[in-house]
Amino acid sequence: MSETYELAVIGAGPAGMEAAITASQAGVKTVVIDSYPQAGGQYYKALPAAFTAVSKTRTEEEGESLAQRLAGLPATRIYNALAWGIFEEEKGDGWLVALDGPDAPKEVHADMLILANGAYETPVAFPGWTLPGVITCGAALILVKTWRVAPGKRALVTGTGPLLLSAAAHLIEAGVEVIGVCETTRLLPRGILYGPTMLGQWHRLQEGAKYLSVMRRGKTPYKTGWSIVAARGKDHVEEAMIAKVDNNGTPIPGTEQTVKVDTVVSGYGLIPNTDLARMIGCKLDYNSQKGGWVPVRDKTLQTSLPGVYVAGDGAGIGGAENSRLEGRIAGVSAALRTGKLSTQQAEEINRKMKPELAQQRRFGRLLGDLFSPKPGLTSLARDETVICRCEELTKKEILAAIAEGGESVIWVKRMTRAGMGLCQGRSCGRLVAQLIAQQTGQDPGQVPPDTQRPPERPIRLEILEERAER
Amino acid sequence: MRISQTGSLLPKVERGRPVKINVDGKTFDAYEGETIAAALLAAGVYTFHLSLKSKEPRSMYCGMGACMECLVTVDGRQTLRACMTPVAEGMQVETCKDPEL
Repeated sequence: MSETYELAVIGAGPAGMEAAITASQAGVKTVVIDSYPQAGGQYYKALPAAFTAVSKTRTEEEGESLAQRLAGLPATRIYNALAWGIFEEEKGDGWLVALDGPDAPKEVHADMLILANGAYETPVAFPGWTLPGVITCGAALILVKTWRVAPGKRALVTGTGPLLLSAAAHLIEAGVEVIGVCETTRLLPRGILYGPTMLGQWHRLQEGAKYLSVMRRGKTPYKTGWSIVAARGKDHVEEAMIAKVDNNGTPIPGTEQTVKVDTVVSGYGLIPNTDLARMIGCKLDYNSQKGGWVPVRDKTLQTSLPGVYVAGDGAGIGGAENSRLEGRIAGVSAALRTGKLSTQQAEEINRKMKPELAQQRRFGRLLGDLFSPKPGLTSLARDETVICRCEELTKKEILAAIAEGGESVIWVKRMTRAGMGLCQGRSCGRLVAQLIAQQTGQDPGQVPPDTQRPPERPIRLEILEERAER
Repeated sequence: MRISQTGSLLPKVERGRPVKINVDGKTFDAYEGETIAAALLAAGVYTFHLSLKSKEPRSMYCGMGACMECLVTVDGRQTLRACMTPVAEGMQVETCKDPEL
């Protein structure tokens, strides 16, 4: 017999944990699902259960305390399980969430959903980006912080945004020689305009200062207005070419330098993960400050579908603090919908969060403004550079399809197979959309992402057969 | 390479129980709690699979289960994400195997 809940929270990062805690505390029958074996998500990065922390960072402590609060509540926790599909119940009275995990039921049913799916890294294709040794910022942090494995001996960190500093500092502390951090954005003088917003962010400033001090000790230069232009090597990265870029992010010819490295860490900011929201048909809207296409939401964080809420970075990049607040708001909204909280109680809780939420949202907009990848970066890919990693399609092939009339991501996919591979367009979707926008003179907001169908990730055929038989 | 350094960003941790895994016929040390990707990279195995057409080496890229570049065969089960799959004693890992349907 399958399990039935009032609320399913998908994702147990900052937003998902807060949502599940808030709803469960209010008495909503809640299930929270995550694909990792422990709660925490990419922000808190819980250590593997078999590892023991002798001491902890402030962030780790915060994540653990949230996870413990959640574990102390009646909410059901299903971890190590992939929510590979969400289907509307035939009677239209709720949702079936299909799961795949060693200890998970095959499915759960819920009247309401809170999607708290976080973000992916923005892919930027440059010659050599498919070589072993080129990893994302997120991958570098997972390797070093969670698994305690160094990706190499000598690294270049390139991209845009504060995650670069975090990745560089962690790598240096892990004993990796970081030869430089290339930040595409020229921070000055624009950064100064944002001083007042940053003053409300002491915790972040302290964190940033810590990273910079580790970088100083490691004698790692922070080069703003620079980017990688190519990684080279036979079976693995052996060197990288960097160059100055203009304000548009386009490399300036004649400024190239070659550096010997075995690792390239590439991080061009985050894209909201809207996979599940798109799968069930939530209406999306384009907002460059929020990281691209995001679900349309009302004040209660409800999407265009009644009883479906999205909280955290999956609804627009805003950082962990914003995600926690949004998780609480979504939890309150779900509790209100079931009648577990009165309108007055819900308003009271939300009113208390309002000033902090406004501050966090200002901060999110600042990050979006300063660090969204520049349009010129698409020129890093050469004709022969792979854009769709899975189906191995080059920029030339994508451009040819666009020239033949491929004016949407879906059309280019039908014509070339770009995005039909195992990653389902998570790596190439944004790149293809950027190329379409540039070639056809459209605004990025006129090139929506591809549709999303279950399974959200590859699953065994037996699982689909089982579903079909019933 | 496994990290032994610690600091304010990387507080000390004790790894899990040592286990042995077999990768393409060779035995490697690993620790309980590590993923296959972590164990392979620590052992200096960087090529996880070959690209579809030109058979170029590919390795873990995103580390969080999204990009599908770290696919390996584990105990005969194909296309498993090395970055999401924990190691276990005696596990047989095969890299660069052409998927069969």
